[in-house]
Parts: sequence; C-alpha cells; structure tokens
Amino acid sequence: MNVINTKGLSKHYGSVAALDSLDLSLESGEPIALIGPNGAGKTTLLSLLCGFIRPSAGTAQVLGHAVGSKALSGKMSALPQDAHLDPRFSIQKQLRLFARLQGMSGGEPTKEVHRVLDAVQMADASGKKPGELSHGMRKRVSLAQALIGKPALILLDEPTAGIDPPNVKIIRDLVRSESKNATFVISSHNLDELEKLCGSVVYLSKGKLIESGPLDATSDDGFLTLRLPSVPEDQFLRECSKLPGVLAVQRQAQGDYLIHQTEGHAVDQALLSMLAKNGWRYRHLIKGRSLEERLYG
Amino acid sequence: MPVLSIAKNEWARLFMSKHGWVAIFAFGLIWGLFLFYVIRPAAQYISSIDVGFISDFLFPRFDVDALSRWDATEIGLYWIFALYLLPFFTMISAADQIASDKARGTLRFLVLRASRSQIFFGRFLGQYLVQLLVILVTLVSVLALIAFYSPDNVPVALSEAPIVMVNLALVLLPYVALMALFSVLSSSARQATLYAIIGWIVLWFLLGYIQNKFGPIAVLDWVLPGSQFSSLIKLRGWDTLSLAPIPLIQTIVLLTLGWVAMHRSDL
Repeated sequence: MNVINTKGLSKHYGSVAALDSLDLSLESGEPIALIGPNGAGKTTLLSLLCGFIRPSAGTAQVLGHAVGSKALSGKMSALPQDAHLDPRFSIQKQLRLFARLQGMSGGEPTKEVHRVLDAVQMADASGKKPGELSHGMRKRVSLAQALIGKPALILLDEPTAGIDPPNVKIIRDLVRSESKNATFVISSHNLDELEKLCGSVVYLSKGKLIESGPLDATSDDGFLTLRLPSVPEDQFLRECSKLPGVLAVQRQAQGDYLIHQTEGHAVDQALLSMLAKNGWRYRHLIKGRSLEERLYG
Repeated sequence: MPVLSIAKNEWARLFMSKHGWVAIFAFGLIWGLFLFYVIRPAAQYISSIDVGFISDFLFPRFDVDALSRWDATEIGLYWIFALYLLPFFTMISAADQIASDKARGTLRFLVLRASRSQIFFGRFLGQYLVQLLVILVTLVSVLALIAFYSPDNVPVALSEAPIVMVNLALVLLPYVALMALFSVLSSSARQATLYAIIGWIVLWFLLGYIQNKFGPIAVLDWVLPGSQFSSLIKLRGWDTLSLAPIPLIQTIVLLTLGWVAMHRSDL
C-alpha cells in the first residue's frame, strides 16, 4: 500500500529552495529512515506532509488522500520537532482532547490515553503537567500522542534528539514493536539508530532526493563491516589483507574496519577463523557497509 | 464535533488552570471594588440630583440624557461603564486564542486531528462564551446590588437587564473576532493585545484623516469596532438593536480575515 506520494513537491522561502521538486513514493511496511544533513529538507518534507506548511508547488498524498484531508484524522499522526504540549494542563487532559478530536467518545478517550501512556512507559505521569517531566519523558509523552487511535502512518521528526540512552532505548523498542501495526517514517541524524530500526531509506540533500530504497541493497554485497574492541591495528590490517577474496581493508573514522571483497567470495568464514586464531574478539560483523559509509563514505 | 470540543477546552483553560483562576480572582476583585465604590455611590448620587447635569458632567462625550433612558439608574450606569470597559477586558482576556499555542508548537498536535477552520472557530466560540459569562456574572452582581440596596427597583431592573445583556453580547462580538485575527498574527497574547491596540489607533487616525481630506464618508464611520457606541447610548430599550448589524458585519469581516490568516500561516 502506498503511504506517501509526492509529485514535484517544492517549498521555497524567498529564493531558498528548502525542498525542490520532490517526487517520492513510499510503501507501507518496515520503518523508513529519512536522512540528510542539516538543511536537507527533512523537517520541511514532514511539515508539508502533516499540513503544517503549504507547498510552493507540487502535490502530496498521504494514504491516498490529499494532505489536510479530513479522512486522515486518526490515520496519520506525527511527532513534530520542537512541538510542546500546553504547560498548563495535565498530560492526561491534553491527550484525552486529542482522542476526542479523533472521534472517540464516552470512556474511549480515557482508555486510549492509558493504553498509549502504558506503551511509552509513562502511565505514572498521566496526572502530571509537561513542566514536571524531563526532556526525555516529554518526548515519550509526545510519542504517546502519536499513537492515539492506532494510526497507519506515523511520522517522527528527530524522536531521539537530545535525549539520554535509556529514553532512546524505550523509544527504539516502542517503534520496533509498533511497526507491526503502523508504518513509521523517522527523520534523524543518528544513522546507527536508524540502521537498527529501518528497512529502507530516503536520502535528501539541499532539498533534493539523492537516494531512496532498501537499506540492505544488493549492490552493497561486496563489503563487510567489522567492529573490533582493541587489536593491534597494523597486524590486523596485514593479516586481513592476506585472506583470499579480500581486495582492500580500511580503518573507518568511527573505529570500524571496512573490508572490500571480491564478488561471490565468502570472506566472512575465513575472517572469523583468523580472528579466533589470533585471539581477537569482535563486537559485530555486518554484511555490507554502514549507512554512514554508504552515504558519506 | 471538533469545534465544540475545542470551544469546551477554552473554558477548561479558564476554569481548570491556576492561571485561569488567578485571572478570575483578579477580575472578581476589581469588579467588586468597582461595584461598591463606583456604581453604587454613583447611582445614589445621581438619584439625588439632576440627571441632566450629572450626565453632562460625567459623560460629556456621550449623550447628556444617557442615564435618564434607563429606569433603573444602576442598570444605566452599568450599561455605560460596561460598554466602554468590557471591550478592553475582552482585548486582554481573549488575546490568546491561537498565539501561544502556535509559538509553542501545540497547535501542530491539534492540526493533526482537526482542521484549521475547526480550531479557529472553536477557539473563537469558546472565548466568546467566556465573554458572555463575564457579562452575565457582572450583570447579575448589579441586580444583586439593586435587590439589596433598592429593592423597589428590582422589577424595572429585571425588565431592562435582558436589553443590556443582548446589547453587550453584540458589542463584544467584534472584539473577540478582532483578537482572533491578531492572535493568529502574533506569537504571544501580549503581542496580540498590543497589535490590536496599535491597529485600532492607527485605523482611527487614518479614518479621521480620510474623512478630513475627502469629506464625510458614512460607511467609514462604522469600520472600527465600538464606532457605534456614541449612537447606541442615545437609544432606549430594544431600539438599541437597530444598530446590531454594525457589530455583526464587523465580526463577519474580522472572522473572515482571521480565517484567511489562519489558513495561510505556517505552523
């Protein structure tokens, strides 16, 4: 099922094109990573899809409906960047209003608020006001509002920005479990995080679409990425280069080793044997390159 | 109905938040002082002397017989004071229909679930109902004052109170609409009030300048909210409703401008 479809979608701020003639078609399923450097147009794209801003040109359809259509209420939701709940009201009160606006009535809003707060492990905070919560907790509550009514599409703009690892883990686990019921589009600078969660990627730069497709692209088969805690670097590079099928070995900036192998050669078995022989422990071995390496390497 | 849910939430903003209760307490305190130290002594004084003289002395800009048109002096006084004071209260209390939610990003959560029109008109309706409550409470307090100090005037005050209620309800409509418009254009309630006051004064000078330069243009007399006040206090009883189209047309124009601004603004 097509969840997002844009044709020539553009947004200009004066002479600056924040988004430039974007043609994009995304299908439902595994979470989709929306990546790109600052100013790439990620937030602009999400804001256009949510109807927060109006396009300068082009069209966008979400779940087969025009952006802003009444039919999208309850079917699409979002965690907008830098959006805060009203500090004067309790979390429960505000989330109940959102549920009512989505068409729930009677005791339904209260039940739904309990469900979504439970999902983000914030049930204890329902009577609290946003100001009484930490940044990470507020983010989780904002994520809870996005789950109200079990929408089919959830857009998350920088869901883990500036929050501590325990809160990041809660959000990641939640996205993973909820992605069985909804398609997530996640904008983030944390490529490691996105790699763990997402099945496909949309890469924007300077308002243009650079790449869109699955994360486990077959074109990436000629690489292995290995993370080692601490080994004598020169010795490892020497030993690894000697393995049959290895074309080149490079040490990456973040400490991973990128091994370029010949097509059709199973270097991984030989590599693991070499590590065991030398008594070197490894953290992880990935078929292909990291997302960061693929995009910026 | 999203419009009603949003309107109801405006009431909650007033009655279910500490900020709202502080505002209610402050208003109650000021109104209480006003009732006992302005309306009551003024009513006693006016009842004891020549009305024509005192209305000329107290309200020279209005009409010399403004007070004598009301059989219950307290109601007449309340009518004139409310006519000139409640719009200012409205410009302050109804200033945050959209502004702070927009600046904080809270509006984005709402826009995901309700249309901009529903939010705009829901907030307007909620704020207008708050203003109606203010009129009702202040009017009932004046009636209570009459019942306590001049019980003979109660029947006549009760017959005049609905006229005042309906007229004030009409008078405040364009002010709530004005604040709906400026609230969309501002990033805080204070800014919305300032913009509205500045806008009102600039327009007042501009209209005066145009009329001075090109001669009287009748329609320009009715452009500003409150422009009918001096004519309104010259009317008696239900005749006051003959000027009702002015605030209604002003409200429609201001709401249309606000609605367009709401639809065009980035959130």
